[in-house]
Amino acid sequence: MIYLPIAEMPVNVLLILLVSGGVGFLSGLIGVGGGFIMTPALIFLGVPAPVAVATGASQIAATSFSGIMTQTRRKSVDWHMGLLLSFGGILGSVCGVWLFERLLHLGQLDLIVSLLYLVLLAGVGLLMVRESYHIWRGRQAKGVSILRRPIKTIAHNLPFRMRFPRSGLYISVLPPLGIGFVIGALSAIMGIGGGFILIPAMIYLLRMPTNVVIGTSLFQVLITTSLIVVLQSAATKTVDLVLAALLMLGGVIGAQLGARLGAGLKSEHLRAILGALLLAASAKFLWDLVIAPTEQYVLRGLW
Amino acid sequence: MRRLAALLALVLICAPAAAQTGAPTGPNVADLPAGVAEDSITVSSDYRGSSVTVFGVNPDRQGRGDIVVVVRGPTDSAVVMRKRRVFGLWVNGDPVRFSEAPTFFAVLSNRPLRSIASAQSIWRYQLDPAASAQLASAVPATGDPSAYRAALVRLRRAQGLYQEYSGRDAPDRPGGLTMYEGGLFRAVVRLPANAPIAQYYADTYLFRDGRLISAQRIPISITRVGIERRIHDLATNFGWLYGLITVMLALVSGWIAAFLFRRT
Repeated sequence: MIYLPIAEMPVNVLLILLVSGGVGFLSGLIGVGGGFIMTPALIFLGVPAPVAVATGASQIAATSFSGIMTQTRRKSVDWHMGLLLSFGGILGSVCGVWLFERLLHLGQLDLIVSLLYLVLLAGVGLLMVRESYHIWRGRQAKGVSILRRPIKTIAHNLPFRMRFPRSGLYISVLPPLGIGFVIGALSAIMGIGGGFILIPAMIYLLRMPTNVVIGTSLFQVLITTSLIVVLQSAATKTVDLVLAALLMLGGVIGAQLGARLGAGLKSEHLRAILGALLLAASAKFLWDLVIAPTEQYVLRGLW
Repeated sequence: MRRLAALLALVLICAPAAAQTGAPTGPNVADLPAGVAEDSITVSSDYRGSSVTVFGVNPDRQGRGDIVVVVRGPTDSAVVMRKRRVFGLWVNGDPVRFSEAPTFFAVLSNRPLRSIASAQSIWRYQLDPAASAQLASAVPATGDPSAYRAALVRLRRAQGLYQEYSGRDAPDRPGGLTMYEGGLFRAVVRLPANAPIAQYYADTYLFRDGRLISAQRIPISITRVGIERRIHDLATNFGWLYGLITVMLALVSGWIAAFLFRRT
């Protein structure tokens, strides 16, 4: 047991390491950041939601930096695009932290976080289940086909166009800024990295080649979550350094092990199971919001 | 300008007095011999809550009268909200603010409080948590003020922050007040880990025939020590620096992981 200085509660060190290691392992195996599993898991363990959201961001920063170290060796980051996305992300996370602080003050943070998670987990869960179903049926998965991406998107028609040599694109700067903004805001409020929204958006909306997508998205996630950690520390004082260190330790090791194992494994069954798990979790969020509470009153005191 | 300065001085003088609300006030204050075993509690990284033991002697030679011990945490504002149904979803609404509510409150007595002190005395000396909470905002038309007050007490009780015991402590009860021969008494209360870290007071009251005879206030300080203190101080006073340190930690651990797992 160790006493968390900011959350002001004792937690079981082994339990936190196991959970963060497990989440890291899963995320390494599947190839997603895992913030959207980690934050609800922490809340489930009794960590106050604001602390879970803000502290989770630091763990995502660690994982994405670890990822970027591997990716840059393969020259797979489009720095121009990354900077532009990050700029949007910076604006988004500033707005997100502000909104987070306001919602905390109004006593509605739990509701908004629950609603966003409900939608997000259901969406990602459905996609995963559908994708693995298609692979299982032996068909080309629609969700990941590069050939099917449209030739021209809105990004090519908007003003303020700019060249991105590494991606071989000549598109407007507005869509990357907008995407970065949305991801930054969601990151700040939900404690996620947002890679699983960012990557499809980069492929389908921006038409970026897949070999630079992962590295570039990691770069954006790193910049955004790092900023969120600093902003949350200054504005809401909800970042717990001790919890963050435990999460990083478990998460980073788990992710590396998962990635190692995942390289030689067919992941469609695992994706289907994880998808079903996410659907179940979103059903739990829905249940808690819809079913009549036994306690009619809630405190909006210390947290 | 001078008037403003005078007003400021007045506020400064009155502030400590206002902070002392809940202190026993009566004719014979501070003549009840009592003490606290743990007058200073330290919070380090292995903190898992603590217990407070208050002991004392009933000054009455014949041992007449009843003892009430109250362990109080600092007061703070609190907001209680009621869940409402909006579009089929239960959301928090109808907030009611309490300007002052104890963050920790444990009342211990040798027999049920209601049979020791009158309802007026309980309110006057703030001997139960409901009596210590000051309602600050108007209750919505559909709401009931006493329901909000009761909800505050119920919710904090569920968190272990409000506790009430009459009679001696037992293995299945974490607190209680025991009377011994010769007027000696001992009160034990468990301070959970989620109780705020601050200055506490143990107030001891002697009642006879429903009237307050004497009382005593003993301070108990709970402070962070060691690394807990450093981290907390850094987070509260230098938020930016603290955030930067956390980010640095993230980068270093990410780098180490990438480095280690590349080699193996």
